Amino acid sequence: MNCVQFQEILPEVLEGGRTAEQESHLKSCPMCSGLVADLDLIAREARQLQAAAEPSQRVWNSIEIALRQEGIIRDPRLGPSLVPARPRRWSMAWLAPVAALVLVAFGIVIYQRGSRDSRLAAHLDTTTPSLVAILPNSQKPSNVNNNNSEDDQLLAAVASRSPAMQAQYASNLRNVNAYIKDAEESAQADPNDEEAQQIVMDAYEQRATVYEMALDRSLP
Amino acid sequence: MTDARKLQGDKLSEAEAIERAKQGDAEAFQLLYGLHKRRVYSLCLRMTANTAEAEDLTQEAFLQLFRKIATFRGESAFSTWLHRMAVNVVLMQLRKKSLPVVPLEETLENEEEAPKKELGAQDPVLSGSIDRLRLQSAVDALPPGYRRIFVLHDVEGYEHNEIAAMVGCSIGNSKSQLHKARMKLRESLKTSRAEKAAKP
Repeated sequence: MNCVQFQEILPEVLEGGRTAEQESHLKSCPMCSGLVADLDLIAREARQLQAAAEPSQRVWNSIEIALRQEGIIRDPRLGPSLVPARPRRWSMAWLAPVAALVLVAFGIVIYQRGSRDSRLAAHLDTTTPSLVAILPNSQKPSNVNNNNSEDDQLLAAVASRSPAMQAQYASNLRNVNAYIKDAEESAQADPNDEEAQQIVMDAYEQRATVYEMALDRSLP
Repeated sequence: MTDARKLQGDKLSEAEAIERAKQGDAEAFQLLYGLHKRRVYSLCLRMTANTAEAEDLTQEAFLQLFRKIATFRGESAFSTWLHRMAVNVVLMQLRKKSLPVVPLEETLENEEEAPKKELGAQDPVLSGSIDRLRLQSAVDALPPGYRRIFVLHDVEGYEHNEIAAMVGCSIGNSKSQLHKARMKLRESLKTSRAEKAAKP
C-alpha cells in the first residue's frame, strides 16, 4: 500500500477499525502517521469549542418579552390578570382594530341610550359616582383626564343594563388603570427599556379587553 | 451536558424548573435559559460564523422550546431535546434565509479550496494542543458545507447517521465532508503556525 492508496481510504481509517495492511503502512510512513495524528488531534480539540461563547443579554430580553406577550410567562408579581390568558394568535396587530371596534360599539351604545332614555341617563349621571372621585389619591391614574370620562361612561352603560356588574367592572378598571400607571412610570424612567414599553402596551390591551367584555354585557 | 442538579441552597433544580416553567414561572424559564444558553449559542455561532445571526437563531430555538415545554414528558434528557431542536432551527433557518447553504456534493466552489493531498516531503505536524482561538478562527473560515458537518460531528458529537438524517445527505457523504473539513483545518492551522513563527 502506498501513500496515495492510504489517503484515499483515510476517512474510513479515522472512523476506526484499521486493517493490518493499513497499520503496517502507518508504522512505516512518517508522513501518513503524522497526518493521522494531526487529524485525530483536531477532532479531539474541537470539543473545546462546545459551549465556548455566550450570547448578549439582548437575547434573553427578547425571549422574555415574547413569552410575556404570548402569555406563556405569567408573572404573579403583577397580580392576577383581569382577563383569561390570551390565545397565541393575539398580537399587537389586533390592538388597533379591536380598540377601534370598542370605541365604535361604545359610541353606538351611548348614542342609543341617550336618545331612547335621556331621563335615565341624566339620573345616572348624577347618581353614579365618578370613578376618579372614589379612588384614593395614590391610585389615580396619570392619564386621569383622558381615561376618567371614558370609564365613567362605560360604568354608566354597565349600570343601566347590569347594575349588579357595575361594582365588579369598577374594580377591574381601578386595577387596570393602576397597572397602566405603574407600567408608564417604569417606561418613563427608562425610555430605552423595551420590556417596559411592551408592558405598557400589554396594560392598554387589557384595558381594551375590559371594555370589550363590559360592552358584551351592555349591548341589547 | 449538565444533568438535573441542585444548584445551591434553595435554588431550583433543572427538573423543578421545568415543572414550574410549565406553570408560567418567569424565574424558571430564566434558569433553564441560563443553564443551556452557552451550548445552544455556540452551536449556532459555529454553524453560521456570524454573531448576530447566531443570537437570532438562539432566540428562536429557545422560543420554540419554551412554547412546547408543556409537552415535555421527561422521556429523554431535557438538554438532548433542546439541542436537537436548536440544530433543527439552525438548519431550517439557513435554508430559509438562503445563507450560503452549498449542496454537500458541491461544497467546493473551485479546486483551489480543496484540501491538498499529503504527498512528497513530510510537513511539520501539529504537536501538543491547538490554541482554541486559532481553531475557532479556522473553523469560521471553513466553507459552509464543511463547517456544518464538522461542527455537528466533532464539536457537538453527533454520529454520521444522525447528521445524514438531519442534513439530508448520505452517511458516506457526511464522512467525506468531515474528512475534507479536517484536512482543510489542518492546512489552515499549519499555515497560521508558520506565519506566527516567521514573525520577528
